[in-house]
Amino acid sequence: MSFRESLESGKFLVTAEVGPGKGTDVEHLLKDADIIKNRVDAVNVTDLQSSVMRLGSMAFSHLLTDMGIEPIFQMTGRDRNRLALQSDLLSAWVLGIRNVLALTGDHPTMGDHPHAKPVFDLDSVSLLEMINKLNSGYDMAGNELKGVPEFLPGAVVNPGADNEAALDLQIMKMEKKIEAGAKFFQTQAVYDIDLFEKFIKRVEGFKVPIIGGVILLKSAGMARFMNKNVAGVLVPTPLIKEMTDTKDKVKKSVEIAARIVKRLKNLCQGVHIMALGWEKTIPAVLDQADI
Amino acid sequence: MIIVEPKSFEEIEQMTKGCGRLLVLGCETCSAMCFAGGQRQVAEIASSIRMSKKMSQDQTEVLDDTVARQCELEFLDHVKDKVAACNTVLSLSCGAGVQTMAKMFPDRRILPAVNTKFIGRATKRGEWMEMCMACGDCILERTAGICPVTRCAKGLLNGPCGGATGGICEVSKDQPCVWQEIYHALKRLNMLHYLKQKPQVKDWPVHPDKVVRKDLREVGAT
Amino acid sequence: MDNTTHIEYQDFPPCQMACPILTDAREYVQFIAERRFEEAFASIRKLNPLPRVCGRICMHPCEIACKRGQIEEPISIAALKRFAADGPWADHYKVALPGKSTGYKVAVVGSGPAGLAAAHDLALLGHHVTIFEALPVLGGMLRTGIPAYRLPKDVLDEQIQTILDLGVEVKTGVLIGEDIKLSNLFEHGYKAVFVAIGAHEDRKLGIAGEDEIEGVVSAVSFLRQVNQGENPEIGKKVAVIGGGNTAIDSARATLRLCADAVYIVYRRSRKEMPAEEEEIEEAAHEGIQLFYLTSPLEIIGQDGKVSALKCIKNELGEPDASGRRSPKHVPGSEFAIDVDMVIAAIGQVPDSSLLADELELTERGNRIHLNVPNTLATTLAGVFAGGDAVTGSATAIEAIAAGKKVAISIDCYLREESPPTASRTEVVETKKLPSGVVEKTQKFARCHNISLPIDERLKGFDEVKSVFSEDLAVQEALRCLHCGIGASVSTERCISCLNCVQVCPVGAPATTKMGEINIDRFLCQACGICALECPVQAIDIGLHPRGELGQQIKKAVSMSEDTAVVGFFDYQGSFGPDDVSSLKKQYPGIAPIMVFGLRRVDTSDVLNAFEAGADAVLLAGCPSAREPFAAASSGVTQRMAQAKAVLDVLGLDGRRLQIFDMPERGLVDEEHLTEFMHTIADLGPNPLR
Repeated sequence: MSFRESLESGKFLVTAEVGPGKGTDVEHLLKDADIIKNRVDAVNVTDLQSSVMRLGSMAFSHLLTDMGIEPIFQMTGRDRNRLALQSDLLSAWVLGIRNVLALTGDHPTMGDHPHAKPVFDLDSVSLLEMINKLNSGYDMAGNELKGVPEFLPGAVVNPGADNEAALDLQIMKMEKKIEAGAKFFQTQAVYDIDLFEKFIKRVEGFKVPIIGGVILLKSAGMARFMNKNVAGVLVPTPLIKEMTDTKDKVKKSVEIAARIVKRLKNLCQGVHIMALGWEKTIPAVLDQADI
Repeated sequence: MIIVEPKSFEEIEQMTKGCGRLLVLGCETCSAMCFAGGQRQVAEIASSIRMSKKMSQDQTEVLDDTVARQCELEFLDHVKDKVAACNTVLSLSCGAGVQTMAKMFPDRRILPAVNTKFIGRATKRGEWMEMCMACGDCILERTAGICPVTRCAKGLLNGPCGGATGGICEVSKDQPCVWQEIYHALKRLNMLHYLKQKPQVKDWPVHPDKVVRKDLREVGAT
Repeated sequence: MDNTTHIEYQDFPPCQMACPILTDAREYVQFIAERRFEEAFASIRKLNPLPRVCGRICMHPCEIACKRGQIEEPISIAALKRFAADGPWADHYKVALPGKSTGYKVAVVGSGPAGLAAAHDLALLGHHVTIFEALPVLGGMLRTGIPAYRLPKDVLDEQIQTILDLGVEVKTGVLIGEDIKLSNLFEHGYKAVFVAIGAHEDRKLGIAGEDEIEGVVSAVSFLRQVNQGENPEIGKKVAVIGGGNTAIDSARATLRLCADAVYIVYRRSRKEMPAEEEEIEEAAHEGIQLFYLTSPLEIIGQDGKVSALKCIKNELGEPDASGRRSPKHVPGSEFAIDVDMVIAAIGQVPDSSLLADELELTERGNRIHLNVPNTLATTLAGVFAGGDAVTGSATAIEAIAAGKKVAISIDCYLREESPPTASRTEVVETKKLPSGVVEKTQKFARCHNISLPIDERLKGFDEVKSVFSEDLAVQEALRCLHCGIGASVSTERCISCLNCVQVCPVGAPATTKMGEINIDRFLCQACGICALECPVQAIDIGLHPRGELGQQIKKAVSMSEDTAVVGFFDYQGSFGPDDVSSLKKQYPGIAPIMVFGLRRVDTSDVLNAFEAGADAVLLAGCPSAREPFAAASSGVTQRMAQAKAVLDVLGLDGRRLQIFDMPERGLVDEEHLTEFMHTIADLGPNPLR
């Protein structure tokens, strides 16, 4: 079943994520992908994550299709103007890529080339609109395409906004993304399930599948780092304590992730597990969560 | 107003080495307001360069003067004799002023003494904020008079990126998330629905841009 | 802002506005602040022929008007005048000499302050003046009314002598109206007469026992006796009735003549008392008991002599025509004070009865009626009148003003020219400072001159107040807020950058809708912050304009031969002429330039000094507690850091420039200065020399 079919079938979805590195070495990434191949519906491939220059998302997404894994091609507006973005999408299609996750992208100052010119010709919303336009057979300028793609566009939402204005704005933008053609949402990592539930209640009416984000907690330090530096992520103190107290960090990490996945099963249409290199633990997480 | 900031004296000193007879020329509009191009700054720089020249046995003279705005040929006309008497002009004006000088006096070297930063305003003494990028397509009517093109680090037009923490931008950590500001302002004006308007895509101008007003040109021609 | 007051402030500071002769107090106070004492005296003396008198006994309306009074206390202007006039430098003053003789003879009747001032000014105008004085001594009330402990006789003698030295003739013991009629003076060759006979007759108490009981005296005659050294007989317990300076003078004189107990009985409260505040305080201080809200009802006698004063308590009712609340008896509150002498001091009226057949008098008060108030001309052609004889008892400075005014009128009359019509505008009350300004302005306590200890005072009639020391005078003068000589904007240069609006501690600059800047001259304290910070140098300060500094710097560098160190020293520090001369002696290379706060020195001033060849620049600023505003000195460090950076880039070395904090006393800390001079010596001469 393709990712689009799974989505439309209403089954509980599982997606994972790989991030290409700096250089041409893709061996271990392919190995990681192989481990989870049979347990996930699709794998996201990040686009120069955190504005750090890396191997491109399109190339690695293509490698995944070769392995029989369905990629979700992440595309940001940071580095390319509308010409390059449209062209790359057409290229992706011919390379067998069917799913696109449209993002605005981090600012270059966050990465390792802080003085690069930020492009942001299109943002996540206008990117989605453009994908829709390509799907309808035209480019942004209204020129007809010869050979038309049929991408499944998705988008992201950050449910953990830390104030009312930020949350209202996230939800308004989510609506705009839906209007612009987003067919599914993947979220920022969820740790505070109660808060997430409140968010879900507010967006239920949108009737667009939401895939809840899960980041494997590797250590208490990582939790604290995220609390401080990642907007919208809040690891509750008891979870941090669990990580501090444990002797077997991997085991505990899996246990916590599984617990979250279990609860998310009743709240949304899937989970997006970001293992950050611990891909081999994903099967265990899913096992423990009875998936 | 155009916001400029003075270049360091080191840079100016390097630039003016062997420049010959020099005119230090102030610009008493935007640049003076930024404490970078008024009579006071002119006096300071001229004195400093005179000392620098003396130190390196350079006998050439340093003159100084100011004009109201260096971006107007008419004002520059008032200093044409002084410029003619010099080899080089150190202009304390913004990029527009320096280039107007270069156009007016094509056989003189025109050196910039300031860095031109942006269009903005003084927020407090000694602090200026960028307010407008001159994108050429104003949308302030939709955003309660707060420009996301300029004041959002990513120039987003359809809402915030989600990176703000505690209302503060994740890129410019001393600035509020401008989209949250817009949100509050629109809410105050009972105009929150403006945020839900059709997605925006900006059409970028071609540089160098030009404004041509036919109505004015026709009057001028008579 | 009210239009009329605005124009007045444009012209004069409040202190000058308030002075009947428009003495430029701001100017001489500033001269004192800058230790230019001789110039201070000249500034006073050019207008006032009796500066040593006024420095002691003037009611100083200038101090009432003084803006500093709204911050804590007014500048001690009168005491500073005395300081300027008493000092040895006053002897160097070149007195103006009489102009070319006009050949006209002018008679001045009365030798009080009005007569003396008129005689002085008329003599300078070239007229031949003769003073006719009824008493054997000159000075009028200054001599007969004011006790020597306030105005020593030798001081008065000296002041009068300077006037007589102009060729003024004197005829004492001549009672005009009796010995010679006014109109007869013309037959004696006088072409004009100034009648300034003063007000030497005490008002009657109008109570029972006043006329028939022995021991009731009038203050004027009592003081006249005292002041002529006649040692009148006094009682052991004395009640003085009245609330003016004459009452206080009488009481304090009585005390000095060894009365056991002295009381002052005044019908209103202390607030309404017309006597000078300081006089009231001193009286109480010396042990005089004051009965406020008390009216005398009857003088009770025993064996024909005073034995008690029956009084009644008052309460204050509605304000009367003079604006003061009128006293009302409290029924049943009668009481008696046990006394054996009563002095009546409830005001004086002119003793003009001898002139009544020649001059028109006012219906009430026996005052001389003026036919033309603006010229002080009376109903008799060629006869003018002024001073207390016209106004009723008033102040010395008002009398001097009348004397000066009449001199011009008489001069015009004699030359058959029309007199100047311009009359001075009404004195307006000094505007109120906004509370924010009062709060922000640094407070500096008013300096007081030292008074004799009480037991010393009561031994005789020695002067109570001493003159300010130089240090104290300078310190007091530094309190001046420089009204009206502050910042002004050149509209031609101003680019409306609003910087002055932002930096002014008192909010003096205001904007107009069209972007113009107006600086409120009343609010501005001439601190100079805005002038220095103005990016286009559109602002200058009336008090030491910027141009002066540039010239001083050039001069300072060119004058030094060996090591040239330009030293900017803050006037506001506490140092004396000795400190300056010893610095010059020890470090002849240091050329001192005095500035009003280091905030007056700009980066380019310092750079210019180096450009001109200075080996070093030192800036010594007063402790920030002496700055007019807490934040006034903050910019200095910034600017000098900037200049240092330039010196470093040039290879001249930023160490050649240093800021010093002035020590408690002196110009600059010895140890730090030595260290600095060593550093400069090590760095060698400025290669730009």
